[in-house]
Amino acid sequence: MKKKSQALSRRDFFHKLGVQVASAGAGVLLAQTAQEAGAAGAVKKYAMVIDTNRCTGCQGCTIACKSENNVPDGFFRSWVKVGMKGTYPDVSTHFLPRLCNNCEDAPCLNLCPTGATYRTYEDGVVHVNRDVCVGCRICVVACPYGARFPNPITKTADKCDFCYHRITKGLQPACVDACTGRARIFGDLNDPESEVSRYMQNHSTQRLRADLDTRPKVHYVYADENLMGPDYHRLLGRSRS
Amino acid sequence: MNETSQYIFWVSHDVALGYLIAWYLWLISLAEGTHIVAHMSWLYYRTEDYRPLEKVGSFQPFIILALVPLFLVADLGHPERFYTMFYHWHWTSPVAYGVYVITLCMITYAMHAFYLFRPELMHLAGQPGALQFIYRLLTFGKKEKGSIAEIRRRQESRERFWAGASLFFSFLGLIYLGILLSSFKGRVMWHSSVMVFIFFAFGACSGSAFLILLTHLKNSLVHTGSKALTEQRRYLTEFGILLKYSVVGQAAVFFIYFVLLQYTGIGGRLASHVFFSGPRAFQFWTFQVVIGLALPFALMLYRKMRGNVLVSCIAAIATLIGTLFGCVNIFIGGQMLPMTHFNWETLSPEPVRMTFGIALMIIMFVVFLATYKILPYENIES
Repeated sequence: MKKKSQALSRRDFFHKLGVQVASAGAGVLLAQTAQEAGAAGAVKKYAMVIDTNRCTGCQGCTIACKSENNVPDGFFRSWVKVGMKGTYPDVSTHFLPRLCNNCEDAPCLNLCPTGATYRTYEDGVVHVNRDVCVGCRICVVACPYGARFPNPITKTADKCDFCYHRITKGLQPACVDACTGRARIFGDLNDPESEVSRYMQNHSTQRLRADLDTRPKVHYVYADENLMGPDYHRLLGRSRS
Repeated sequence: MNETSQYIFWVSHDVALGYLIAWYLWLISLAEGTHIVAHMSWLYYRTEDYRPLEKVGSFQPFIILALVPLFLVADLGHPERFYTMFYHWHWTSPVAYGVYVITLCMITYAMHAFYLFRPELMHLAGQPGALQFIYRLLTFGKKEKGSIAEIRRRQESRERFWAGASLFFSFLGLIYLGILLSSFKGRVMWHSSVMVFIFFAFGACSGSAFLILLTHLKNSLVHTGSKALTEQRRYLTEFGILLKYSVVGQAAVFFIYFVLLQYTGIGGRLASHVFFSGPRAFQFWTFQVVIGLALPFALMLYRKMRGNVLVSCIAAIATLIGTLFGCVNIFIGGQMLPMTHFNWETLSPEPVRMTFGIALMIIMFVVFLATYKILPYENIES
């Protein structure tokens, strides 16, 4: 008799299971919504606009970044991709300064197994916590922009964080300070009076790999389409010949 | 569109995750596939004669899963922080779930194998012999009354519980491998809905092949009664059919995968080009298609060939080679597609890591052989 009262009928079992699954699902949904709301409601939204028409390809930003952040030889947090187009005498040179996009929906952050990659919600910058990073390099593979690298000195992932140690003291990132043509404009997009906001209002901008919906926070003005992504046409064409 | 005639300066990124992780994925799919094939077949046969094969299908995957984390640890920048993944958990990352799934797989395989071996271990612990202390240790010094058949009957519900749990985690493990790769949305070769099915196909092929190979190996090393041997060979002949259809299934999944890639824009076409005539073409056509698919299919086509020990072992080895290269081709090939420039990314040679990986696989194999001599794989009727 006692045994019978403790037994769970199939209907009860599925009912309880359903309730538990539904609660777990709702919990996950709430956590996700809270995270997205946190990202959207950040006090500041640091971003960069790069006017490629102003870039002279001097690589001053590359050098400034390397020396400011002690970037090891052979690796780059910021660099300028340079390409030439056309045939002589109609030749044009194009520059595309590159750095971490500090995406709003960063694949590297989502795939980091330990949470070593994190976003500061007060300004939206994506960081790497070197004390927690295990050096699995998943984020390096996950980044669609090739902006990350495994640092051979720290043995952890490394990337541009808009020179966080500088911007939190009211300074500009090293690459912005070093840019001779003032091609790089950095600031808070949530502040309508900031230079970066005003520049974005007055220019049409492009973002890298917009198809992936990662919402990069580095915007380009007059960037050459050919330089903006990987050249798959060239790879396919090359092998055909 | 394609007007750029010359690139002056760009940055290459190289293949970040190399052979150790590719082998890690393959070994996990192999271990889980072996367990699924062994246990699903038990559900079909449900006879005592089948137990030795189920033991192989439970304990050998456990050995693989117990040693396979070393591949991951050796590949980390900070191996000493490996356990950070367990307590510094990040809920959006598939790997964060994976470390638990693989650990639970390993635990459930160990428990299932324990209950499979327990009746024979109980019996042997009471017998005189050189290895008696090991048997006593493995049964925690406990004694149970009755014959082996009675012990089996008494523990049947526990045995089946752990079998069911291990089967559940095996499926979860294969799903994890597929989801892990498909979650890289910037990697066009991996970001595919077929990736889970590819790992299921790898699991089915390598699992049935591994079971055939290891059981034949067991029978050649351990004395098996003629009746039991005949029965086990009959099962293995039928596993040959399973292997044949798994190979067909793998071919079908890859066909669908390539068709889908054709409709995924130029990135998808380039991804399939990596296999057909790109940097992984030789490995794809030679090892994956000819050795891994065509050869085992041809060898397992007729019953007479499936019944031949040598032929079925060759087919099993060929299938294992095929799935290994399949895993490597997808994993390394997926990283060879450039993210920012116009050349294939290259994989820097990793002689130390590769030597470590090969040495670890040899150790696994030696452990397999050692357990054949120590543990009672064959049924003992007291």
